[in-house]
Amino acid sequence: MEFFFAFFNFGLAMWLAWRASARFAGYVFFVGLAFMVALYLRHATDELALAF
Amino acid sequence: MTAKTAVTLNALALYGISAVLIIAFYWQLAEGELPCPLCMLQRVAFAALTVGPILAIKFGPRPKYMGLVIIAAVLGAAIAGRQMLIHIMPGDPGFGSTLLGLHFYTWAFLGFVVALLAAGMMLVFGPQQTEPERIPRRGLIEDGAVWLVMSLVALNALSALVQCGFSGCPANPVRYELLG
Repeated sequence: MEFFFAFFNFGLAMWLAWRASARFAGYVFFVGLAFMVALYLRHATDELALAF
Repeated sequence: MTAKTAVTLNALALYGISAVLIIAFYWQLAEGELPCPLCMLQRVAFAALTVGPILAIKFGPRPKYMGLVIIAAVLGAAIAGRQMLIHIMPGDPGFGSTLLGLHFYTWAFLGFVVALLAAGMMLVFGPQQTEPERIPRRGLIEDGAVWLVMSLVALNALSALVQCGFSGCPANPVRYELLG
């Protein structure tokens, strides 16, 4: 589910970039990056696994 | 470099990212090799790479859009590099199969490095205006690139949902959770 959200997030950023506004696409892009960092910490090592 | 050339190069970059996602899909569907969490995270990073070029195609090339590419590429390279380091010990067979002798995470790392170099070259040789005087006309090549890569990211979202189900993804996936 977490990766669905990650893909959906950047899909939304792409859609906003294409159809709506660059500003909101940028906001969604950076939200997606923060989520990616969280997923990285969760999956990069067992020692750093986050509980979510 | 003219703005029109920069837009065409951004469209070509989107075709390149699409090719990466198509190859990954081929290995997943035809070879039955399900992506691990870090592998999927690298696909997410490739999806993140596309936002800058799409903005450049839609609104005209600007340096800040290449900044988005650089940020996404650094994060993607960190993820792929981490997976390379996990399997760097002698005797470790690595995760998954190989393509031309390299594992897919190694190819992904090289892909992110190429994206960094391309964004750097675009910053040096591309249009320097922060506000383009006029947005170059788009053609079928540019529109097709955007729709192709958006479709592939949507398919990846669907695939991730079917593979992982409604809970966390297993570290070594062997089946599609939603298909039983």
